[in-house]
This record gives sequence, C-alpha cells and structure tokens, in this order.
Amino acid sequence: MIRPVDNPFASRYVEALPFRCAASNLDDLIDRLVSQQGRGAVVGPHGSGKTTLAEALAQRVGGDIVRIHLGTETRQPLTSTIRSLPRVVEPRHTIVLDGAEQLGPVAWWRTWRQLRSAGTVVITGHKPGRLPVIHECSTDPDLLRELVAELSPEIVETFDLDELFSRHQGNLRLCFRELYDVCATSEG
Amino acid sequence: MSELRIDLDGNRSHFLPGDDVAGRVVWRLTEPSEALELRLFWHTSGKGTEDVVIARSHRFDAPGTYGEQEFRFRLPAGPYSFSGTLITLAWSLELVSLPGEGTERVDIVVAPTPVEVRLQSLGRPPKSEIIRIGPVRR
Repeated sequence: MIRPVDNPFASRYVEALPFRCAASNLDDLIDRLVSQQGRGAVVGPHGSGKTTLAEALAQRVGGDIVRIHLGTETRQPLTSTIRSLPRVVEPRHTIVLDGAEQLGPVAWWRTWRQLRSAGTVVITGHKPGRLPVIHECSTDPDLLRELVAELSPEIVETFDLDELFSRHQGNLRLCFRELYDVCATSEG
Repeated sequence: MSELRIDLDGNRSHFLPGDDVAGRVVWRLTEPSEALELRLFWHTSGKGTEDVVIARSHRFDAPGTYGEQEFRFRLPAGPYSFSGTLITLAWSLELVSLPGEGTERVDIVVAPTPVEVRLQSLGRPPKSEIIRIGPVRR
C-alpha cells in the first residue's frame, strides 16, 4: 500500500501544480488586474482552478498576502474567518478572498468595507458580480491529462481520464481525489 | 552558499514517545542572520488539508555567520508517526535562518514500533443486524 505522503495525488502535490490556461498567460491577467486598480474576480465552476489562479496572482503581485477561504469545505465558521482579517487593512496588503459567493449582500458589504483599503483584492466565485472579472476558469479533458501527466505519467497510460472527466463534470478537484484513491488502493 | 545542518546524536532517526532528541546544529551563512530557529514539529500529508503543529522550538539569537550549538528536546507522548489510507503523520526537525529562505530539515520517526505505525484498512463495515424489541407483528 502506498503511503499517503507518497501518493502522487496527495493534496500537497495537487496544490503545487502551477496555474495553466491556454487562452491567457499570467502576465496578461496581472495587466488586467492592475488596469482595474488591483481589484478583480476569478470565476468558474467547482474544481476549475480558481483558487490556484488567485494564489498565483497574489504571489506575483506580492505584498503581505492575506488568504481568506470561505469555501464550503472551510473548517471555520464564516464570522470567525472574517474576524481573522488584519485589524487595519492597508495598501501593502494583498487579499485573496476565496469563495466570495458564500457571503450574502450584507456580509459582502461589511467585508468589502474592511478590504477596500488593500492594495490588491482578488476574489473567487462561481458567478460574476462582486468585482470586475479578470478571468473565467474552465477545464477540458486535455487540461486534466496534462496535469495528471505531471503528477503521475503512468496513470495517463492506464486510466480512462476522459471518462473520469465526464463523470465529474469537469471538476478537476474531484478527479484528483478519485485518482488519489486509485493510487492508494493499488498494489505496490 | 549558506549551509545549515542538523546532526542527531548517534545518527538516530527513530525515537520512542517521551525520548530525548538531542544533537547539534551547524551553520555557515554567507550573510549574518538575525536568528536561527530549530523546530520540532509534526505534519500531516495526504488526501485532505495539511496540518502542521510545532511541538518544541528553540531560538539561537545573533548566531553570526558560522557556529554550532547543541540541543535537546523531550518528545511528547504523541502523536505517533503513522500512515493510513488518507494521511501520513510525520515528525521532523527543521532549522530555519531568520529572516530568509534557508532551511534544513531532518525527518524522524516517533513511535513505539520500530517503524511508523501502519494503519490497515478495515474494509467494508459489517452489515448491522436489525434487532427487534417488543412483540413481533404478524
């Protein structure tokens, strides 16, 4: 049995995959973010790479990065997550607000009042609306194949990735989780 | 190029819970560091979110550009190093140059067994039996 730490689809390896997109490169997206006074939204369906892209943008912008994860899998309740923001948000801060759609209109308004002094704010969500969209994430079977090849070339040869992609409706996170289980239960 | 090193006494890599982890840290830095910090911590890795907990740490202030120091940490009673299906829990020692990027890490096993504890899958849970209490309806 493979040890979880050695599983090629362990979260540490999946999360370390760099953002990939055929349509735009990171420099274009940074230009777009700058042209929008450092405010932007990354939108797309579940498991399409929104968080990865938001993180890549924040890393490129630099500054004091503050990450707030409001996804449905977050362990903390919403209010305590918002309270974890710095008391005074300043232009040196780069804020990544992941899962902004979890906030209702009032909560969003309160949060935005807290965040608006930050130099850069990147939010992720499933739909456009809160901030101007800088990128709409999408996936396709070729992208899955490319990412899987980077983590485990053998899986590309032996596993029907098109069927996997289709079954999970393009949610790459779920695809990786299933592949984790495949590797965890395989012999050797 | 900077060099950070952690040498464990007797080159041990396996410890029992409650044991002392002792050794020596050695550093040769290209620029003086504000401090060096030695951390004993456990971390998880696997299918879900990763956790890191620092169990012990020691700071060497104003270490200059080179030197060496001995250290000794008492290991807590747990958690044990283990691997299951979903996560691996591993113990490590890490020497970090502050502020900066320089780090050195040594992995150790903390367990009552000679290797990390391996949790086996229990397979499918048995079907629960239905127990009826009271008169049987016909």
